[in-house]
Amino acid sequence: MAFRAGVIISLCLSAGLVWIIESGAADVFLEATRPDFQKIPLGVVGIENAGGAESPEGRIRLGSRIEEVLKADVRRSLVFSLVDLSGIGVKVNHLGKTPDPSFKQAAEQGVSVIVWGKAGMKNEDKDADVNMEGYVYDAGSDEMVGGKRYAGSPSVVRLMAHRFADELVFRYTGEPGIARTKIAYVSEVGPARELFVMDYDGHDPRQVTADGFLNLMPRWSPDRRFLVFTAYRNRNTQDIDMIELATGKRWTLVSLSGLNITPALSPDGNFLAFSSSHEGNSELYRMDTRTKDMQRLTVNAAGDLSPSWSPSGREIAFTSDRSGGPQVFLMSADGSNVRRLTFEGDYNAAPAWSPRGNWIAYVCRSPKKDYKLCLISPDGQKRVQLTTGHGVDDSPSWSPDGRHLVFSSTADGKSQIYMINTDGKDLERITFTGTHNSAPTWSPAS
Amino acid sequence: MKEETFLQLPVYIHEKGVESMRRVQSIICASLIVGSFMVNMFGCASKSVQSGGETQASRPETKSGAGQDLPDTSFSGRDSSGGLRGLDKNPSEERLGSGGSLMAKADPGSAGRQIEDIRAEQAAVAAGLRDIFFAYDSFAISEDGRQVLAHDAEWIKANPGAQVKIEGHCDERGTSAYNLVLGEKRAKAARNYLVELGVTPNHLSIVSYGKERPVCKEHVESCYAQNRRAHMLLKTGK
Repeated sequence: MAFRAGVIISLCLSAGLVWIIESGAADVFLEATRPDFQKIPLGVVGIENAGGAESPEGRIRLGSRIEEVLKADVRRSLVFSLVDLSGIGVKVNHLGKTPDPSFKQAAEQGVSVIVWGKAGMKNEDKDADVNMEGYVYDAGSDEMVGGKRYAGSPSVVRLMAHRFADELVFRYTGEPGIARTKIAYVSEVGPARELFVMDYDGHDPRQVTADGFLNLMPRWSPDRRFLVFTAYRNRNTQDIDMIELATGKRWTLVSLSGLNITPALSPDGNFLAFSSSHEGNSELYRMDTRTKDMQRLTVNAAGDLSPSWSPSGREIAFTSDRSGGPQVFLMSADGSNVRRLTFEGDYNAAPAWSPRGNWIAYVCRSPKKDYKLCLISPDGQKRVQLTTGHGVDDSPSWSPDGRHLVFSSTADGKSQIYMINTDGKDLERITFTGTHNSAPTWSPAS
Repeated sequence: MKEETFLQLPVYIHEKGVESMRRVQSIICASLIVGSFMVNMFGCASKSVQSGGETQASRPETKSGAGQDLPDTSFSGRDSSGGLRGLDKNPSEERLGSGGSLMAKADPGSAGRQIEDIRAEQAAVAAGLRDIFFAYDSFAISEDGRQVLAHDAEWIKANPGAQVKIEGHCDERGTSAYNLVLGEKRAKAARNYLVELGVTPNHLSIVSYGKERPVCKEHVESCYAQNRRAHMLLKTGK
């Protein structure tokens, strides 16, 4: 117990400020985005292959598949550091819920959390249920502090791992985790570009539109039910559409003459900000999604586009070329109080306001004319270039926990989708197939 | 700005606190809206007298062209647990569903429209209409471009039934979004020059494809140069 208290106190110190909530679902909140945050050392002993299935090969694949997904989720959470337990004599406990005596040994060597479990199928029928159990040993209390049991069809095996990973994050931070989030994006299908949705780790891509022409730059509704996007039904009509992911039902939100692009729903879902050139040049507008009333936000002879709402919904970051090349500007959500945010370089565009409010990611052109990702604080005081090298980086979008960005890049030749931490580490490519994948947008948390 | 600053702090508020804060906010908002409505009423009345009652110009709101009723997209905040039930020493079984598998529905009209597009391309080539090309980052029409457009203008004026569509395109450098705006500027520059040369504006329409429909897909300048263009299409009617 003393160790546990120690862990909590050190978390308190590193977090600066901690709220203990009453509900009991999670006991500690901490701020894991601070640079001085120490990740919690976590080891995954293994996900054992439980009985039931006849084919040993099938069983091995099932357990190790879940383990592999779980470990990747734990690593990407940035809340835990994944410890390699193999070198310190930790054993899988075949009896299930009871921690193995070797866990205490690992704890003495600094491992705070140990996770183990088993997975199997009820019988060899390929459509039979998969069952998974996972348990958590906490070094502070030297006991199994909780577990989960999941059942479902073989198609949800990855989801079991994702859900368990999110439970771990929730347990230790009070945040719901990102392992069950999705990424919407654009992919080339023959001559067309269509919308797709995949898991946050690039798995299980699903095609959302099949119009045969051009659909661009999707954005999620805050409730994750819809995507809003730039839709070219054909060469003559270009609208802003919305599609319901569960049903494929579709609505036209904006159908004005000219270019109608870069829609973004406000955090409360009540307003759609977008760019339209129907009054001559690209201007930003705001439509009330309940009344469909539209209000013009910018009045300028230049191009205004790419609105990104602040998490409070009170402000909008956007791209404007009113001072020559494109630059990032901020304004109040009613169009007042416009001010320029970026001054370094002659091309800054595609702003994305972080869900924590403290950064705006955007595409910056380097002195070598490479298009890279930059971060700037909303007061303009702090600025960092996040990516380097050749290739065109585009469309940064934040993970709901504010710790990662997803973006497209031609660094490997064709446009593909990548993930990176906000400290510039752990660059990871997440799409590998297809001739063109672009415009990724991270979903809100579930 | 105030609230953004507030959000930077590593403070987490219990859900109830957020709710009650929201309630206070909505009360404040409601009274502000009522208040501003009253101010507007009087403000507008005096303004419209001064400006000769030009109500049309002072009305900021228009409709977006959205046809159908839209579904409710309002969002009142998420459950802080994200649908998780928490760990349990004696966990009960949770059944996981796949969450539905949406199959994209192919648009049956798309094949027909692609054929129309090909016809429009071929018609422009047959008529001798030529594209113009732009410098990196630019929508200025070059001397070569002027000559090409002069030739195109003569043909359009000589064929009064012609409907020409000008597509603005960009190379792959730069952002998707800004290139759509740049592509529109290119298409507009071409259209405006044709109009200057005496082409009736209603024979011309424009569209921008930004960097989304490149004619050449290599990552080299010779390829980029081919993609930075205003591309002519001739609508054939049928």
